[in-house]
Amino acid sequence: MSDSTPQGAPGSVTEPGAPAPPEAERPRPQGEGMSERALGRAFLTPAFVVMGLLALFPIVYAAYESLFDFDFFTRTDFVGLANYVDQLTSPRFWSAVFVTIAFTVVSVTLEFIVGMIFALIMNAAFKGRNVTRAVILLPWVVPTVIAGQMWRYLFEQRPGYINEWLGLGAIDWLGSGASMFWAVVIADWWKTAPFVGLLLLAGLQTIPNEVYEAARVDGATWTQRFRNVTLPLLTPSIVVALLFRSVDALRIFDLADIMTNARLETLSVLAQRSIVRAPQPDIANTLAVLTFVMIMGIGLIFIAMMGRDVVGEPEEGS
Amino acid sequence: MAATADTGPAPPQAAPQKAGGLRNDPRVQMGGQLLGLAVVFAWCIFPFLWMVMVSFQGTVALRDANIFGGPFTTGNYTRVFEEGFMWNLGNSIFVALSTTVISILVASLAAYAIARLPIAYKFTILAGTLVATVFPPVSLVPPLFVAFNALGQLNTYQAMIIPYVALTLPLSIFILTTFFATIPKEMEEAAKVDGATPFQTFVRVVVPLAAPGVFAAAILVFVYAVNEYLIAFSLASGDPNVMTVTVAIATLDRVGFEEPIGTITAASTIVSIPLIIFALAAQRWIVSGLTAGGVKG
Amino acid sequence: MSKNPFLLRAVGLLAVLALVAAACGPAPDEDDEAAPDPEDTAFTWAVTGADGPTMEAVADLWNEENPEQQVELELLPPEADDQRQAMFNDQVTEAGQYDVLGLDVIWTGEFAEAGFIENLEDMRDSVEGTSIPGAIESAQHEGELYALPYSTNFGFLYYRTDLVDEPPETWEELYDTVLEVQEENPDIDGYVGQGDSYEGFVVNYLEFLWSDGGEVFDEAATESLLLEGDHAEKAITFMRDAFEEGVFAADFNTMVEDDARLAFQAGDAIFMRNWPYAYPLLAGEDEDDPTEVADDFDIAPMPAFEGAPVDTISTLGGLNNAVSTLSENQDVAREFVEWAATDDGPQEILAEMQPPPTKASIYENYEDIVPEDQAPVYEVLNLVREDARARPPVPGYNSFSLAVQEELHGVYADGDDPGPALEAVNEAAENALVEDPEDVIEEEADVDEDE
Repeated sequence: MSDSTPQGAPGSVTEPGAPAPPEAERPRPQGEGMSERALGRAFLTPAFVVMGLLALFPIVYAAYESLFDFDFFTRTDFVGLANYVDQLTSPRFWSAVFVTIAFTVVSVTLEFIVGMIFALIMNAAFKGRNVTRAVILLPWVVPTVIAGQMWRYLFEQRPGYINEWLGLGAIDWLGSGASMFWAVVIADWWKTAPFVGLLLLAGLQTIPNEVYEAARVDGATWTQRFRNVTLPLLTPSIVVALLFRSVDALRIFDLADIMTNARLETLSVLAQRSIVRAPQPDIANTLAVLTFVMIMGIGLIFIAMMGRDVVGEPEEGS
Repeated sequence: MAATADTGPAPPQAAPQKAGGLRNDPRVQMGGQLLGLAVVFAWCIFPFLWMVMVSFQGTVALRDANIFGGPFTTGNYTRVFEEGFMWNLGNSIFVALSTTVISILVASLAAYAIARLPIAYKFTILAGTLVATVFPPVSLVPPLFVAFNALGQLNTYQAMIIPYVALTLPLSIFILTTFFATIPKEMEEAAKVDGATPFQTFVRVVVPLAAPGVFAAAILVFVYAVNEYLIAFSLASGDPNVMTVTVAIATLDRVGFEEPIGTITAASTIVSIPLIIFALAAQRWIVSGLTAGGVKG
Repeated sequence: MSKNPFLLRAVGLLAVLALVAAACGPAPDEDDEAAPDPEDTAFTWAVTGADGPTMEAVADLWNEENPEQQVELELLPPEADDQRQAMFNDQVTEAGQYDVLGLDVIWTGEFAEAGFIENLEDMRDSVEGTSIPGAIESAQHEGELYALPYSTNFGFLYYRTDLVDEPPETWEELYDTVLEVQEENPDIDGYVGQGDSYEGFVVNYLEFLWSDGGEVFDEAATESLLLEGDHAEKAITFMRDAFEEGVFAADFNTMVEDDARLAFQAGDAIFMRNWPYAYPLLAGEDEDDPTEVADDFDIAPMPAFEGAPVDTISTLGGLNNAVSTLSENQDVAREFVEWAATDDGPQEILAEMQPPPTKASIYENYEDIVPEDQAPVYEVLNLVREDARARPPVPGYNSFSLAVQEELHGVYADGDDPGPALEAVNEAAENALVEDPEDVIEEEADVDEDE
């Protein structure tokens, strides 16, 4: 357990010390099987074959095409990095980057907080827990395209569901500016907090009760237990949840497109504009690559955070 | 009005304010918990309830913020059934199920290798895993279209299942890696001592112990696959026999610019039922996973 | 993992669910009368799924008449972006799944310029004099036909007969009428239409612009006339004032067609700009979609500005059918496109259902063709038909349209400065005329150097 214990976990964390499952105790027929190293390669191959085939080609393709000029859909001159210079000097691009990052920071933070509350509720033992779990999952099972339409109606001024339910008067949520940003944040928050909740719930489930018992015996309050036991042991799940929520939020398209008719211009909305609405493949490919680089960079930071906890030393054992 | 009327269990009267010890008063704690639960219920349910109510009222529900006004009708559901929606639902479940099984199987192998086996460049491998999930989906579609068209596989189940597997593998691998990593090494050692091969150790010890992670990943993958629209529409909307629910909802019958909100919400409500069943069932196993895996047994 | 009983049970449960679900509904093929015999399928027609039943009826009729050369109908999602995505995928990857493309009238120039659709100029004789002129105009690129008309759409004014005696003939009159009615009925909204930032807003804006005598391009589409005179600014400032003063509904800025229709149908508005599809719904055709105005509304041509050279104006909508350059069944595809444009069969199906046909003779004899409850629509269509205008089918129409949406929505809804916004739209209009805006900029630079 020691090398999988997150940093900062209290030294008092005890080994679960549980016996191996019964099946493992039965004598196995002798035979080495594959070496662990070979097994590792064999285990990784299927995943990387599938992902490589599907993901690598489009990225290389877009990167290549982004070096050319286009006349409608026809590739014309090689222009090198000129398309990147165009985008990186365009105020519109930076405005989309800003909107996208602001959206990601705000919505992922809110989703994380509420997701954590959801996970703690789902993890708690109380009467009616099953109903509560079903209720918490409801938002997540609504297809995003439908959720977008739904929130559009909810925020619209006629008949003004949100405005009337909350007694807000006639707020023009979806018209422009900050209110439109918040409307989309709220819709995304509602839709995906259960995603975070589910991931964290699974993480909570792997924390052995013994650890809590030990802390309780030491006289720790709920808050102390949460801060000193739960959070550190949950770190890997938290990082995974934040990583995938961020990656998703950085590509936000559907909600912004449906709820505001693309007035909330995120990076993906901008990219879709030059792919479908008024096709300019040079801009489209450049934006795709830039988006890719940006998200990958943020992803690498998360992986670096996670790597220490999860992966351990690269060349251990054998 | 409606917002306060139906927010789950009514919170008990707030306890009288006291100068000290308020937070430790069990009645206050209880009340606070119930109030919190009521907020959670309202937050999660209301938009969903709106959808269900519109599906039973059609456009009348769009005239008044009171969504319980009626008159109610089941006409939208009849129409949705008449348009063959249940067939699409069957397609969606089939596609999502196949995706989930393949994605989880492939991902558990890879995750085990990353978390447990002595391979080099783990950081690079994890980073490489992420690549598949960070490209804007709308830019993925044209190359995929070229590939599946060249293989003559457009408008088939596999035109959805294969991309879905590839796009959900990163999430599955990351979740499973973290869960495999938390399993005590000693249990594996014990199995090895008993003469199990590494593969047997993986199947019989590691996977059951990581059950919460396996099922959490399974729910997320399944829900993703049912709710995916762009690829389903781009690669597999040409054949009504394989069309999935999201595409079917987008192409529900309408006259001119009419937004058939009644049938759209009815169809969405129908879709949510198997999803909730799957999620609830899988969630039970998240919670019972450790027990089943043998930690306490 | 295969040993895990829970997973097995989960898989089992869902497999059963899938089977049950599939068993509840008929397989699409058994259900679908329009499905052609695969052996005789000659070509595929891809078209929007809005008004899907109409398209199915047209395809069925063709298949009845042409048992050897059946058409397979592919209904695309009604969302314009989705249709474009599907057609672009097909073209760019040279898949060639579609033989006949049902194109929104504003896409002709773009698709022709990109080399996606065949030149159909040799078929001009069959539609000239047969189809309405605006529809033919919208099917052209650089003066030549690249598609043939199929369906059309006109905007007109819906008004409340219980609140207004006579429909207004000018925008100024409409403005004043709304304020008058609102004095007695303070809760009623004035004018609803298409104000969200999307193509529908461009349609509405062009109607304001054209009904003041303004133009986007000269007749030969060689230069932008947007900033000639003050028409462009007058149109957008009229919208801004009307929105600020409450003559337009407060949610005009987020309205699409059906939002406006629902508001009017609920009795919330005095005037509405909309397409013909709203008429039967307002009249109470669908009992699950009840109406408050069944006996209290009528329709009239759109108003124009006072002193304008036109009395009324309508932006044309609709679909043209084009032949894909990737089609391997060019002959039958052309035959179908011509049949859909000129034959009474498909054109009468359009008249009986939705959307309106492009064949002029149908309008002349509508009394014998359209259902009685639709007759008033055709009465008005006959009034506006002559003055209806196609949006300019220039290659870069979409860039121009996006500029209108992105620049002018903020001007009327958020009070942005109209000057720079109109400059930007004008620039987009100039660029929409030429193949590659960057080339022109370079050419201009060259000219500058020469000077």
